[in-house]
Amino acid sequence: MDNREVLVDIKNLRTFFYTEDGVVPAVDGIDLTIHRGEVLGLVGESGCGKSVTALSILRLIPNPPGKIIGGEIFFHGEDLLKKNEEKMRMIRGDKISMIFQEPMTSLNPVYTIGNQISEAITLHQKIDDAEAKKRTVEMLHLVGIPEPERRFSQYPHEMSGGMRQRVMIAMALSSNPELLISDEATTALDVTIQAQILDLMRGLQKKLGMAILIITHNLAVVAEMAETIAIAYAGKIVENASAKEIFKSPRHPYTYGLLASIPKFTEKKTNEPLPAIEGMVPSPYHMPKGCRFNPRCPFATEKCREEEPEILELTPGHLVRCFHPIES
Amino acid sequence: MRDYIIRRILGMIPLILIVMIVSFGIFSLVPNPFAALMENPRIKKADIQRLIKAWGFDLPWYLRFFKWFSGVIRGDWGPSLLYPGSMARDVISRALPVTMRLMGIEFLVSLVIALPIGIISAVKQYSMTDYVVTVISFLGMSMPTFWSGLLMMMLFSVVLKRPSGMPLLPAGGIITPGLEEAPFWAKLGDRAQYLVMPVVVLAFFSLGSYARYMRSSMLEVIRQDYIRTARAKGVPERSVIYKHALRNAMIPIVTLIALSVPGIVGGAAITETIFSIPGMGSLFIAANVKADYPTAMISLMLTSILVIVFNLVADIVYAWVDPRIKYS
Amino acid sequence: MAEKAIEAKKKGQKKSSEDYTYAGMVFHRLTRHKLAMVGAFMLIFILLFVFVGPLIWRADPNAQIEGLGGLFNPASRAHPFGTDDYGRDVLARMFFGGRISLFIGFISAISSTLAGGFVGLVAGYYGGWADNILMRFTDAMLSIPTFPLLIALASVLGKGVWQIILVIVVFGWMTDARLVRGLVLSLKEQEYVEAARAIGASANRIMWRHLFPNTLAVLIVSTTIGIGGAIIYEASISFLGFGVQAPFASWGNMLQNAQQFIWNSPRLIIYPGLAIFMTVLGFNFFGDGLRDAIDPKLKL
Repeated sequence: MDNREVLVDIKNLRTFFYTEDGVVPAVDGIDLTIHRGEVLGLVGESGCGKSVTALSILRLIPNPPGKIIGGEIFFHGEDLLKKNEEKMRMIRGDKISMIFQEPMTSLNPVYTIGNQISEAITLHQKIDDAEAKKRTVEMLHLVGIPEPERRFSQYPHEMSGGMRQRVMIAMALSSNPELLISDEATTALDVTIQAQILDLMRGLQKKLGMAILIITHNLAVVAEMAETIAIAYAGKIVENASAKEIFKSPRHPYTYGLLASIPKFTEKKTNEPLPAIEGMVPSPYHMPKGCRFNPRCPFATEKCREEEPEILELTPGHLVRCFHPIES
Repeated sequence: MRDYIIRRILGMIPLILIVMIVSFGIFSLVPNPFAALMENPRIKKADIQRLIKAWGFDLPWYLRFFKWFSGVIRGDWGPSLLYPGSMARDVISRALPVTMRLMGIEFLVSLVIALPIGIISAVKQYSMTDYVVTVISFLGMSMPTFWSGLLMMMLFSVVLKRPSGMPLLPAGGIITPGLEEAPFWAKLGDRAQYLVMPVVVLAFFSLGSYARYMRSSMLEVIRQDYIRTARAKGVPERSVIYKHALRNAMIPIVTLIALSVPGIVGGAAITETIFSIPGMGSLFIAANVKADYPTAMISLMLTSILVIVFNLVADIVYAWVDPRIKYS
Repeated sequence: MAEKAIEAKKKGQKKSSEDYTYAGMVFHRLTRHKLAMVGAFMLIFILLFVFVGPLIWRADPNAQIEGLGGLFNPASRAHPFGTDDYGRDVLARMFFGGRISLFIGFISAISSTLAGGFVGLVAGYYGGWADNILMRFTDAMLSIPTFPLLIALASVLGKGVWQIILVIVVFGWMTDARLVRGLVLSLKEQEYVEAARAIGASANRIMWRHLFPNTLAVLIVSTTIGIGGAIIYEASISFLGFGVQAPFASWGNMLQNAQQFIWNSPRLIIYPGLAIFMTVLGFNFFGDGLRDAIDPKLKL
C-alpha cells in the first residue's frame, strides 16, 4: 500500500460530448488515485478517454460540445469540479501543469519562448519581470537547452520539435507544480528525441519530486517511467496495478492481449504471426451492451454480454474490471 | 527588414508598369476616340487635328504608348476634355483628395466597427450575438451601394426634414456653397453632414465582409493548440483572447483587408456619383460617359497605383507583425 | 452499411456520421443550417417570381401607356406594381429584368469560376515559372479596381448583355485562380498524389482525376457566392448606363431610371433594389451554408 499522501483522487468521473451525431461517453466512470511524487501511467488506445480524463482534471474540456457531467476530482481533499473558474485558474500552471502532444503547434508563434515562459511565472508568483527572466533562463538551463540567454529571445519556429518540447516542460515546471500531466508528450517525436525527453522527465522528477501522470498508448514508455499503471478501455479503467504486476501478471484479457502483441526479441523464434486482439475499438456512438470489451474478448460469456463488471481489488493494490480475470 | 522593404518596392515597379499598360491598352481599344468631338459642330477641325497630334494618335501604337508614358511620368497629363479650358492634371488633383478623404474615413469607420464585432462574434460562437452579427454582415454585403444610397437619400433628404424645411441630411455635394473659405472647424462641421450618408453607405457594405473575416480568423486561431496551452498555464480568459489569440488572428486580416481595397475603391465610384461627390470615382465615370479617354486612362492608372501602394504597406505591416516571415 | 442503419432505426437511435454517404452528409448538414435554408427559400421564391410570374401575369414589359395619365401610376388592379416614367408596367419589367440579371449573373459566375479554376489548377500543379508568371499577372490585374475596369471596358466594347458577361468573366477569374492554386499547392503534398505518381499516373490524370474533384467543393461555393457578386456588378453597370440598354429592362437599369424620380415615385426604387438585394442575400446565405456543410472546419 502506498503511504504517501493522496494528491489527486478521481471518483467516478463522467465526461460526455454532445455532438450533432449523438452523445459520446468519452469518460464513463473513471476512478484514479495519484499520490504525492508518484509516477502513474495511463495507457490505452486512441479514443479510450485518457486525454479527456487529463483535460477534465484541469477543467479544460471545450464546452460545447463537452461537459463533465458527474463524479468528483479531489485535489488535496477539495473537489476541483466545485471550484469557480478563478480558483481553477490559479491551480493551472501552478499546482497542476500539463504538457501536450504536439510541440510544433503548442507554442504561440508570435511571442518569444522566453516571453511565454516568463508569463507562466509572473502569472503565479509575485516577482518582477527581471527576476522572472532570470528564473526563465534557469528553467531553460534545467531542461537542457544550451545557450539559454540567447534562446530566451527566440521564436518557436526557430527551434526543433525536441527543443520546443523542452520549452514546454520548462514552462510547465516553472512554478514547481505538485502534479505534471504529460499527455502523449513524446508521441510526436523521433525515437531518439523521445528517449532524451523521457530521461529529462525522469531526472526532473527525482530532483523536484512532483507526481507525474503519463498518458500514452505506448507500453514501452510506461515500462520505463511508471511506478503504477492504469489501463483504460472505452471510457473506463479496466486494470490498475503496479508496473511490475501489470507486466508480470496481467489479469484483464485486454491488458493480456496488449502485452502479447508486443514483439519480443528474447523469445525463441517461431513462425507464428504476432497475436493481435481481434476486432476494433467500439464506436463511441454504438457502445456494446454489458462489458465493453466483450466483442473482442476470447473469454467472453453470456454474463459478459449482459452485465457490466464492477472494478474489484483482486490482490492488494491490483484492481481489475472483469468477471473472468486471468489467473496470475 | 530594410532589404525586405527595398525588395518589395522594387517588386512594385513591374506591377505599376503592367497597370499602366493595361490602362493604356483598354482605352486604345476604342476605335475612334475623337468620335464624340468630331460630331460637335462647335469644335474646329484644326483643333481636333491638334489634339490628335498632341496625343500621338497619328503614331503607331507602340510609339504612342511611349509618348503617353513619358508624358505621364513628367506630369504632363494633357488638357481635360471634360472641362475644356482646364488641364487634366488640375482636374484630377482636385478630385483625388476628395476621394482619399472619403475612403479614409469610411475605412476607419468600417474597421473600428467590424473588427470588434467580429471578435465578439467568434468568442461567443453560436450565441444570439453571433447570429445577429452574422445576419447584419450578410445584409451589408448583399445590399448594392447604389440602392442603399438611394434609400438613405429618400429617408434622410426627402422624408425627414429639419424644422426649417430643409432636408435632414444634404442629398449631395461635399460642402455648402459659400463656405469654402470658412475657418477650419466650421468647415469640418459642415463637411461632416455631407459625408455622413456616403460613409454610412460604403461602410455598411464593407463592414460585413471585414466582420466575417475577423470572425473566421479568430475562430481558426482559437482552435489552435497554443491557445489550449495558454489556458493550461492559467492565463485568464481575457488575456487568452486579446493577448494570445488576437495577435495571431490579425495577421491574415491584414492581407484580406489589403485585398479588399480595390473593391472598395471601385465601389466608391458609384457612391460618389449618387451623392454628387466630385472625387476620382465620379470623375472616372463622367470621363467614360463623355468619352474623355485620356483623363479616364490616367484616373484608372492612378487608382490602381494607389491600390498597389496600399498593398505594399500591407505587406510591410504583415512582415512586421508575423515573426515567421523570412526576409529572404 | 444498410443493415446497420436499419438496426439503428429499429432501436430508435439516430443515424450517426458513419451511416451516411459523403453527399448525404453534406445534404444533411445543409438542411439543418438555418441561414442556408432561409437563403434557399429566398432563391426559390425569386426563381418562381421570375419564371412562373410571367405565365400568371401576362403584360408586355415594353408597352407604353398612352398619355400622361398612364405615368407613375401607383399600384392598381391593372398594374400591381404600378407604372414607370414611360407608362410601362413595372411588374412585367421586374419579371423580365430579373431573368436577364439572373442569366448574366449565373453565366458569368460559372464561367469565371471554371476559367479561374483551370488557371489555378495548372499554376498550382506545375509550379515553377508558369506559376510565377501567372501569379504576377493575376496580382497586377487584382490591383486594378474591378469596377472602374468594368466601366472602362463597357464603354470601350459597347453595351450589351454578352459584353457584360465577357467583362465580368475576364476580370473575375482571378480570385478563383488564387483560391484553387492555394488549395492545389497544399493538396499536392498529400500522400495520395505521391502514390498516384508512384504508380505512373500522368500529370493530366493526376490533375483531373485526383486534384480537381477535391477543388470542386471550393469551386461550387465560390460560384454560388460569385453569382451574387456578378448580379451586383451587372446591376451597377446597368445603373450607370453602361450595361443592359433600354428598352430592355434589367433590375439595374430600372434603378437608374428611377433615380431622378426619388422625390415623387419612390416605389420605382424600392422594387428593383429589393429584388437585387433579396437575390444576392439568398445566394450569400445559401453559399455560406453550403461551405459549412461541405466541410465545417474549412476556412476559406
